[in-house]
Amino acid sequence: MHLASLNALPDEILQIVLFQLSPQDTVLNVQRVSKRFWRLGNEPLLWRYHCRVQFRYWDVKHRIRQKFLGSVGDVDWKMLYIHRKKVDTQTTEILDSILEDQANRIKKFNSIGEFGYDAKDTLLRHCRANETAEDVLARRYYATAVLDYVHRSEALAEWSRLAKGENVSLERALGSFDLFVLHDNYGDLLEIGDLFDKLVKRLCNERPNLDQMSSRGQAFAVATFLRMHNLTGLDSESAYRDLQNNYIGIALQDIHHPSLPLISVSIFCGLACRLGLDARCCGMPNHVHAMVFPESTQDRNSANAVGSDPIYLDPYRTDEEIPAVHLLEMLASWGIEPANFSRFIGDSSTASLVLRSSRSILATVHEFREQGANPNSHPTIRLYANPFADMDNAFYSALWANYMLTDVVSGPNLSSQRQFIPMILERFERLYPMDASLIEQYICPLYNNPSNAEHWELHEALRVVKAADQSPKQLKPRNTRSSRENVRYQVGQVFRHKRYNYIAVITGWDIECGMNSDWMAHNQVHSLSKGRFQSFYHSLVEDTSIRYVAEENIEIIRPEYPRSLMTLAGRFFKRWDKEKRLFVSNIRDEYPDD
Amino acid sequence: MAAEKSSIITLQSNDGVSIDVDRQVAERSMLIKNMMEDLGDEAISTAVPIPNVNESVLKKVIEWCEHHKNDPQPAQDDDSDSRKKTTDIEEWDQKFMQVDQEMLFEIILASNYLDIKPLLDVGCKTVANMIKGKSPEEIRKTFNITNDFTPEEEEQIRRENEWAEDR
Repeated sequence: MHLASLNALPDEILQIVLFQLSPQDTVLNVQRVSKRFWRLGNEPLLWRYHCRVQFRYWDVKHRIRQKFLGSVGDVDWKMLYIHRKKVDTQTTEILDSILEDQANRIKKFNSIGEFGYDAKDTLLRHCRANETAEDVLARRYYATAVLDYVHRSEALAEWSRLAKGENVSLERALGSFDLFVLHDNYGDLLEIGDLFDKLVKRLCNERPNLDQMSSRGQAFAVATFLRMHNLTGLDSESAYRDLQNNYIGIALQDIHHPSLPLISVSIFCGLACRLGLDARCCGMPNHVHAMVFPESTQDRNSANAVGSDPIYLDPYRTDEEIPAVHLLEMLASWGIEPANFSRFIGDSSTASLVLRSSRSILATVHEFREQGANPNSHPTIRLYANPFADMDNAFYSALWANYMLTDVVSGPNLSSQRQFIPMILERFERLYPMDASLIEQYICPLYNNPSNAEHWELHEALRVVKAADQSPKQLKPRNTRSSRENVRYQVGQVFRHKRYNYIAVITGWDIECGMNSDWMAHNQVHSLSKGRFQSFYHSLVEDTSIRYVAEENIEIIRPEYPRSLMTLAGRFFKRWDKEKRLFVSNIRDEYPDD
Repeated sequence: MAAEKSSIITLQSNDGVSIDVDRQVAERSMLIKNMMEDLGDEAISTAVPIPNVNESVLKKVIEWCEHHKNDPQPAQDDDSDSRKKTTDIEEWDQKFMQVDQEMLFEIILASNYLDIKPLLDVGCKTVANMIKGKSPEEIRKTFNITNDFTPEEEEQIRRENEWAEDR
C-alpha cells in the first residue's frame, strides 16, 4: 500500500484531525484545499463540538440544552457557530468603543444587550482581562457593567413574567435578586437550577431507599439532609440582618450556607419539588415555614395514609415537624383574629415571597446606612464585589421588585406602585443610565397618558439622561495660565481628605468652585481658608460616591497599590501606573492634558 | 495480575513475519484484547495474524505500546464531544512521531485498525499540527493534494467564510 497523500486516509480519520484544529484553520485553510475537505469541514458533528466547547452561555431563545440532547442533524450547527462568532466579534468591537469615548454609551450598552445571553461569554472574557492589558481597569469595569445590565434585563424579564401570572419557579424568582449583584461570578438562574440538581443527586445517593418512602418520609428526609449538611439557617442569630442571607445563589454556594428562613424554605422546596413533592412556602408572619401536601403524590403506605392536612416544617431551625397547632397558638399570641388564621397558615404566592425578600433587603440596607460602615458590627454586606456598590445594586433590585410586584400581591393600585418610580429614577440618573431601555420597557407603558404627572416626569428624566449621554464632554485643556498654575493637582492622583480621612482619586477639576450658591452655603465653602477661589476637584471615593473637594483639603498620597479603589477606578481610568503611582486617565476626551 | 499478564503472544504481520510480544503490551490494542478475552488461552498457542499491517509498521506500533504499557486504559466515554481537546503531545510521543509522512499515515491506519485510541489520537494530532497555520496552497503542497475547485467555487467559498477572517 502506498500512502503518497493525506487523501489516502479515510473520512473517519480526517474527521479526528479536524477536531484538533481551530474553526479558523478549518474554515480559512483546510476547507479551501479541495472539495473533499470542503465537505468534511461542514460536518454538523464538528460544529456542534465547537459550539459546545467554545461557548458556555446561550440566550434562552436557542433552547440550547434541548439542541445538544437532540439528533445532531436537526440543527445547522455551523450556522449557529457563525452566529455566536459574529456576536463575539461585535460585542468586543462595541465594548472597545465604549472604552474609547464617554459619549453615546447608553446606545452601545443597548446594542450589546440585544444579543442577550449570547454576549455573556465574550463579556466574561473581558471582565477577566489580563493584568498587563493597557486598559485593564477600564475594560474589566465596563465589561462588568454591561454584563450587570444583561443580568438586570434577565431578572426584570423574569419578574415581569411573574407579574403577568405566568408560571415562574420560586428559585428563579428569588435568584433574580442574585442577578443584580452577580457580576462575573457563578450562580445565574440556570446555574442555581444546576446546583439544586446536584444536591438532589447527592441526597438520592445518601438515601438510596428514598423512592420507597411516603411523601411524608421524603419531606423529613429532605429536611434532615439540609440540616445535617448545614445547608440552611444561620450559624449565629446576630448575623440575621446580614445582606448576604437574602440570596439563594449565595446560600447554595457559600461554605457556611447562610440563609434567612425564607431562603431556607425555598431551598427546601427546590429539593422537595424535584422529588415530586407538593412543597410550598407558608407565609407565617416573621418566619416563613415550609409546607408539604402529602396527598398530592401517591403514598406508597396508603394503608396508614395521612389526611389532606399539610405537614409544616421549619428547615431554618430544625428537621422536625412543626405541629399546626403551634402555628395557631403563635398567631393567637400575636393577637391575630382566628378568622384570619387560614390566611397565614396557607401557602404564599411566589410574587409575595419576592416582595418579602425585597423588604428584607431594604431593611438591611437602611440599617447598614444608619450604623455607618463598621466592619465589626452587623449587618455586614458580603456579596460578590465592593460592598458599597453591591449595596446600591441590592437596593435597586428591591425597588424594581416592589415596583413590578406590589400590585400583583395587593391588588391593582397605582398609587402604591407609583411611589417607587421616583426612587428608581433617582438611581437611574445617578448610577444606571444604561437602564433607559428597561424604564421604557417596564415603566413607560403604564404611564403613557400625557394627562398624568408621571408621564412627564418619566419622559423628562429619560430625555435629560440621554441628552447628557449623547453630548460629547466639554473639553477642559490646560491652555490658560490659571489652569496650568492654579490647578495644582491632576486627574489620576490619589489623595486622603484632610478632614474626613477617606481615600479618593481625582477625576476632574475646576479652576474655582463651580457649584451654585446653595451648594456652597450647604457645604460651608466660606469657612474654608481660601473660600471658593481655589481649585476644586471631582473625586471618586472608595465608597463609590463622587465628591467635590477643595484643594486645601487634599493631601496627595502615593500608595504602592490603592486596593480599595482598584475595581471602581475603571470607570475613569485605564490602569494603575506603579512607577508614577497614579491612575492613567481614560477620560482624555474631557481632560486632554491630564 | 502481574502473573496473568506476563504471558507472551505471537503476532504475525501481513508480510509473514512473526513477532513475540508481552500480552500486556499487545493488549493496548482493544482488538487484540477483545480477541484474547473471546478465545481464551488457545489464542496464545497460535500466531495472531494482523492482516492490514506490515512488519516495519507493526514493530513501530509495538514500540509505542511497550513504552505506554503502564498507562491507564482510556476512559470509555460516549461524551467525548463535550470536553475540550488538547493538542499537546508529550515529548516521547513527539519524537516517536518524527517519521516520514508515509510511515505516519501507516501508523494512524494501523492504530485505527488495531483500535489503539491513544496512538490514533497522537497520530491525528501530529497531522493537525502539520496543518496549523498553513495556507490552503501550503497544505496541498505538504500533503500532495490536488486543487479540484474552479476559480468561481474558490471565490464563493471565500465569501461564505468571510466571518472567520480577522478584522
